[in-house]
Formats: sequence, C-alpha cells, structure tokens
Amino acid sequence: MKITRLFITAMMALAIALPVVLVPISAMADGERYILVSHAPDSDSWWNTIKNGIKLAGRQMDVTVEYRNPPTGDLADMARIIQQAAASRPNGIITTLADYDVLSGPIRDAVDQGINVIIMNSGTPEQTRKVGALMFVGQPEYDAGYAAGLRAKGDGIKSFVCVNHVISNTVVAERCRGFADALGIKLGRAMLDSGQDPAEIKNRVLAYLSANPNVDAILTLGPTSADPTIAALKENGMAGDIYFGTFDLGTEIVKGIKSGIIKWGIDQQPFLQAYLPIVVLTNYDRYGVLPGNNINSGPGFVTKDALGMVEKFAGQYR
Amino acid sequence: MTEPILKMRGVAVESDETDSDEIIIEMKKIEKHFGSVIALSGVSLDLIAGECHCLLGDNGAGKSTFIKTMSGVYKPSKGEIIFEGKPMNFTRPRDAIAAGIATVYQDLAMIPLMSVARNFFMGNEPTRKVAGISFFDHKTANEITMKKMKKMGINLRSPDQAVGTLSGGERQTVAIARAVHFGAKLLILDEPTSALGVRQTANVLATVDKVRNQGIGVVFITHNVRHAMAVGDRFTVLNRGQTLGTANRGEITAEELQNMMAGGEELATFEGSPDV
Amino acid sequence: MTQTEAIPPAEDERIKQRSTFRQALIRPELGGICGTILVFFFFFLSAGDSGMFSPSGVLNWSIVSSQFIIIAVGACLLMIAGEFDLSVGSMIGFAGMSIALLSISLHWPVWLAIMITFILCMAVGALNGWLVIKTGLPSFIVTLAFLFILRGLTIFAAIATTSKTIIGGVRDAAKGDWLAPFFGGKIFTGFFQWMADIGWIETFSRGIKKGQPIVEGIPMLMIWAFGLVIFGHLLLTKTKFGNWIFASGGDAQAARYVGVPVIRVKILMFMFTAFCACVFATAQVMEFGSAGADRGVLKEFEAIISVVIGGALLTGGYGSVIGAALGAIIFGVVQQGLFFAGVESSLFRVFLGVILLLAVILNTYIRRMITGER
Repeated sequence: MKITRLFITAMMALAIALPVVLVPISAMADGERYILVSHAPDSDSWWNTIKNGIKLAGRQMDVTVEYRNPPTGDLADMARIIQQAAASRPNGIITTLADYDVLSGPIRDAVDQGINVIIMNSGTPEQTRKVGALMFVGQPEYDAGYAAGLRAKGDGIKSFVCVNHVISNTVVAERCRGFADALGIKLGRAMLDSGQDPAEIKNRVLAYLSANPNVDAILTLGPTSADPTIAALKENGMAGDIYFGTFDLGTEIVKGIKSGIIKWGIDQQPFLQAYLPIVVLTNYDRYGVLPGNNINSGPGFVTKDALGMVEKFAGQYR
Repeated sequence: MTEPILKMRGVAVESDETDSDEIIIEMKKIEKHFGSVIALSGVSLDLIAGECHCLLGDNGAGKSTFIKTMSGVYKPSKGEIIFEGKPMNFTRPRDAIAAGIATVYQDLAMIPLMSVARNFFMGNEPTRKVAGISFFDHKTANEITMKKMKKMGINLRSPDQAVGTLSGGERQTVAIARAVHFGAKLLILDEPTSALGVRQTANVLATVDKVRNQGIGVVFITHNVRHAMAVGDRFTVLNRGQTLGTANRGEITAEELQNMMAGGEELATFEGSPDV
Repeated sequence: MTQTEAIPPAEDERIKQRSTFRQALIRPELGGICGTILVFFFFFLSAGDSGMFSPSGVLNWSIVSSQFIIIAVGACLLMIAGEFDLSVGSMIGFAGMSIALLSISLHWPVWLAIMITFILCMAVGALNGWLVIKTGLPSFIVTLAFLFILRGLTIFAAIATTSKTIIGGVRDAAKGDWLAPFFGGKIFTGFFQWMADIGWIETFSRGIKKGQPIVEGIPMLMIWAFGLVIFGHLLLTKTKFGNWIFASGGDAQAARYVGVPVIRVKILMFMFTAFCACVFATAQVMEFGSAGADRGVLKEFEAIISVVIGGALLTGGYGSVIGAALGAIIFGVVQQGLFFAGVESSLFRVFLGVILLLAVILNTYIRRMITGER
C-alpha cells in the first residue's frame, strides 16, 4: 500500500533525524553540574544578569551550569521544575523561595536526596534554615524596603505609590510594606498592581497619578515597572519633579538617575546572587569548605555619583 | 387555456372510500402564520395505509411548512390533525415520532462521520445491562444493521463503515429503512430525489415501493412531476399555501400536474415537445 | 412490485478488501499511538541516562501527563459534542482559590470546601452550556468571556479577603480530613517502601525522611487520570449517551429530529469539563498546600492541543478519549523530557508546534479514509 509505505518511511526518517539534530545542545564540561531554578517568567528581563553571572562563574570554576524557569511564572510549574532538577541528579541546585508553601516540599526533598541547595534572591533566612539549604544569598526584602523608606522620610516624603509588577510574589511585596512602615503609613491603596506589559504599566501609572495628584513619591520594584514609569512621567510632565526611587538597576534606570528623574536605585547586586552560590557550591563539593553565615548581596544605594561602572555593565552584570 | 380536468377532493374523504381502506392521518384546513406572514392558508390532505401520496408544488408553495406541521416541528395556527381516528396535538417532534410519524429530510438524513449502525439506531439505541448499568448493545445493533442493509440492497464492508462512504441515494435508503424499522406508520419524505442522479433515484423509488407494500403510508414531497408519476398513488398540488386539488393515479397527466404547480398558467412549451 | 429474498451478490466488486494490517492501522487513535512511540523512542535516545527514566524522573513526567489527561478527557468529550470550553484554565485557578478561601479564611472543614467547590464549578459549567444554547453564540465566545470573568473573580476574591494572591496553609488544614487524601494522597506506599528496602528505588539519604523511598507511592492524581480515561472511553463508545454525544457534534439538527436530547447532552458535557478542571485544581491544591490566583493559565489550550493530537475533529462529531489521553501523555513527556535532554526550554514550543502539525496531518489522512470525506 502506497500510504502505509510512505507512512513508515516518514516515521523512520523522523526518528533517526531528530535525535541527531538535537542531542548536543547543552555544553558539557567535565566538572560538576549545577542548576539554577528561578521563579521569573520568560518576560522578566531582570534575570539576564543572573544568567550572565552563572555563566561567568561556570566558566571560571570550570563547571556546567543550567538556568531553568517556569515560562509563565506559575509557581506550581516552578515546583515541578525543582522536582525535575532533583531527578536529574545535579551536584547542587540554586533556587529562590518565592513562596514557601509551594516550594518548600520539593526543595526539602531535593536536600534529603543528598543534593546541596542554596537559596538566593527571595526568601527569609529562617525559611532557608527550615528547608535545609546551605545558606541564603540575597537582599532581605523587608529590610531593603524599610531602609529605602527611612531614606525617603529623611528627604521629607510623606506618601508614595508602589508600582508592583509581580503582584503574585508575596515576598517582593514586602519591599512596599517596609517602605510604608518606615514612612509610618498604611500600605493599602498605595500599592498598585501594574501588570507586566509595558504599555499597561505606563497607562496605570498615568491613571494613578492623575487620580492622586498629591502623592509625594514613586517607588518601582525593578526595570519592568521603572522603565514604563519613566516614560509616563515624561509624558505627564512630572519627570524630575516627583521623588522617584527604584529597586534594581537597568539601562533606562541608569539614564534616569543621570538625568535626575530618579533619585536613587537600590542595587541588590544580582550578579553576586548568581556568582557567589556557584563559587560556594563548587568549593564545598571540591574541598568541603563553606562560609559560616548568609551573604547579603544588598541593598546598595546607587546615586548619580556612583554611576560609572554601573553604566558600563547595565543589563549585563549590574 | 383549458381547465385542467381533475376530480376535486373535499375534506370529507370517508364518503369516497370503502370501509376496508384505513386512513392513517387527516389534515383538515391547516393554517400556519409566522407573525404577519401566512405560510399556509388552508391545506387539507389525508393518507391511506399502503399508499404513496405525492405532495407537489413549486418552490415556496408551502410543502416544507406543511409537513413540519405534520411531524410536530410546528404547531398549526388553525386546523385539525386526526391521526388514526383520534385528534392529535403534537408539541414537539418527539411526540410525532412516538405516534409513528417519521420524517426523512433532504439533507439532514444521516451524520456522515458516524457509522451506519450508529446512525441507524440513533435515538433508539438497543441496550443491555451489565452489572446494573445500561450499555449500548453493539452486537445486536450491528447484526440488525447488516441484515437490513442487505435487504435494502446496500452492501457494507462492516457495520462500522461510516455513512460518509455511502452515496446520497444509499444514505436516503438507510434513513428510510431506519424509519420503517422503528415502527413508522407514516413516512414523510422531503424531496428525497432532488439531489440524486438517475441510478440513485431509481433505487430510492424502489425503496419507497417496498415500504409502501409493507402497509406504511408515504407522503412524498417533490417538485419533480416525473418522479411523482413513477411512484405515486395520489397527487396533491400546493400553490401559495393552498391545496389546488387532489387526483388519483391515472386520472391526471404529467403535463396537467405541471400546469397546476405553476399556478394554472400554461408553461412555455418547446418546439417539438411531444404531446401528452 | 415485491422482490423475494434475492440471492445476495457473491462479492460486490466495488468493495475493496483491505489487508488486516491496514484495517488495524486505520483507527482514530493512530496518530496518538505513533506520536507516543516516537516521543518515547526519541527521549530514550537523547535522555536515556539523564535521570528521566529513574523512578523520580518517571514520576515527574507521569504527574504532568496525568494532569493534562484529566482536563483533556473533559475537553475531548465536549469537543466531540461540538463545543469548546476556553474557561478551563481560569476555572482551575478559581476552584483552587475557592477551596483555599473556604477552608482557610472561613475555617470550613476541607471536605466541605472541596464539595462546595465542585458544586460551584459544575454550576458554572452548566451556566456556560445554558448560555451557549440560549444565545446561540459560539461556545468559543461564551467561554472566552468566562475565562476573564473567573480569573478576575479569583484575583479579586483573594486580594479582598487576604491581601495576598497566594493562599497557603491548606496542607495543615487538611490534616485528618477524610476527603483530601482522595486527591492529594498516595497509594501503594507499602509496595514502594518494600521496593526501596530491597534496593530497587533510591531512598532519601538524610533529613527526617531518611530511609524512605524517593518515590513514595502512586499519587491519587494518576488514579484519577486513569479512572477518567476509562470512564470517558466507556461512556463515549459503549453507551447510548455516547452515541448521543457523537450525534450532537456531528449534526445537532439531524440528531434533534430523531429525538436525541441535544441540549441535555451539551450542558452535561460542559458540566463534565468543569468537573475535570475541579479535579485538577483540588489535586494541585492538595499537592502544594496552597492556591494561587495565577494557576492554570493557558491550560485550556494545552487541553485542546492534546485532544487534537489525539485525533478529534475541531468541528465535532469525531474523536477518541484514548487518543486524547495519548495526546496528553505526549504533551507531558515532551514538556518534561526536553529538560532532561538538555534542550533549551524555549524550544518546547517549537517542538509542540511540530508535533501538533504532524499529528493533525496524519489524523486528517486517517479520518478521510475512515469516513470517506473527499
């Protein structure tokens, strides 16, 4: 039968061609293998620095590193990825504690299977201890927000709007809460769920500012919310007039600091959050040494004066 | 312009019939209004068991509307329906089906994606109980289907064969066989041959013949006089929502029927067309 | 003129005899079967030693596949009945949030929260069906509207009651509950412990679970998936109601004329889809101990893709539950397997598109041969 013959030939061709084409995709080094699992959706550009950080560390330490994330940011998918990572028996896993309830189980299981885990970026030191991870490398959210709030209070700020583009990440929202607590006000409607689409963010910020013309300050939580906010302020003419501080750095944010639209950026120094865990894990695997405490990668306040190197490596390593 | 010669049949059919002929259904002065549109303004028809009564009329005459009142799709705005001697009031198609009136529509006969057996028993699936749960009895359904199809002259590879592999005429035949199998006393065929070729038309007409001989009454709607003449016992013509008249076989010619369908005007004749 | 029982013609020369091989080959599930074999073959070659076929690896993609199977069965039956439900993903988020809010914020017992949520979801499903029939709008549009409505309600309810979008603590609330283990529990745990003891499965090497097998048992999710496939397949192919499902999707008007209760069939199928979404959500909440307002995004499309890979016709009236289950397995194995094979995760969508195309082309061929379409 012509059809059956054609069919069988097609299947065989496919079966042989595919594996040949696709197998050699991950670069294999002879050394150890570490997997970094983040909670960020594909669209979150902040994590590029992390990807570059682990790549550099991997090269320098001569180990294989992989970056994995849930494409839509769904934490249930992330939990599944952690289980998967554990099943593939790496030497270590580096991950975030974006939500303790969802992720603690899989992380604990990975630890109990004999895989070393380091928590970075999101999570509290206490939670890190509870899941059995080696250490936490990051910037405690609430503290950073609180520090920023104190700074703003010192500059005379009494009210603010927090532009939150990751409303489902409960830990990041702590930044807004810390800021509000430092100012001595309730968070309530000061936190704006802006979504992640840049056009949407800009429109929501414009809407909020026109509905609340007397708000003293704007706090954004990263380049995803800062960049459209800069555009919004330029559009409604408030750029430079309103007190604007942000978390994290990026190309547009750096430009904003230089031109006076943004007062300061808080650098949690994601490079360290990616680079250091690789170094720590490799040395732990090779020589059994481990630093005795958690490593705080931030906050580092970056103002106009400190911009030189930031500018040079914005979006890449800074 | 000669007056067409035919016997006009009134509503009181009984006086013209002998007692042994059983009347299945009488439709008396049926009217149907859709809002301000009058689709039927007084149509009467009756049907005797074992006869094929052809309902003729040009497009738009009201044939489809009329049979839909007969099969329970529409409720008549005025008029009576007497089925097997008892007045009937069908509110939905299922009532008519339950009473024994089956309709085979022109393009809604069968579902091509499903097998012949499944189509045949659709809505009347045979079941058998296993551990208290009713299951579709495929074995019985398949056996009966194969038997019936063979009787009707349709050869199937297997009862699982999809209806889509059958020709248009074969599908009509299966639909007719289905109606008959499930106890139709009155079979309404809505333009069954209108889309068929010569060979298939002959098959369908042969099936109609078989069905009639089993004592089932057939209402055969068509606008093709030749097909009607080939198989009909009586002919009723509709025009603009009204009955123009009813004639017996042998009492009327094809040309006369054609003229009546066109509304009494003589149709254009062609040079060299034969005399009737 | 009546004919006596004529002697049937010896062999109708128009009926080609097909080889039995070809006959066995031409089934609606063929695309699904081929795809599954191909996919496993591919991953054996490229990821055989990556941990994908270790017990925990197998558990990983089996769970993901089971999740897809559950919603694919619902989507399959509905699609065969001639309708779509695009609100499945939002309903998953909605159902999960409902369980969490009822048991955490209102302190209801978890079994009650689960039951009320099921009733609520099936009511929404019935509403979907009723609206589709009443308005005559395509189900695509009506359920798209509910995709937004349910998602919005989920986020609103979460923030209004707790100011958070992830509600945790369900695991603690479910301790001692009698219904929760039916969704989140594991069975055959004794057997798996025995396998660990004799060394067939690896065990945890430290922590409080030391000595226990890494794979503790078969999650109830997989039992649900298996059960729903059996139920769906039997319902569709072996019951009267199943015939009505085919009829409603094949030609609703023709079905109505022979007395098939098309309205009832469609509404019940919408309710069944909602039921499946609720099973998914309950199992997910029990597994992770929490509900999130963003759970289930885009899952309805993944369900539809699984169903289409499995051979169903988008316009209704034709399909197979077994095929849909195979499509879901392919989906799950590919999604998880690409990780094990070391492939960049963004290529997953490329693979998916290719498999979808191949499956649909193959299925169209097969369907045309079976049903005689031109």
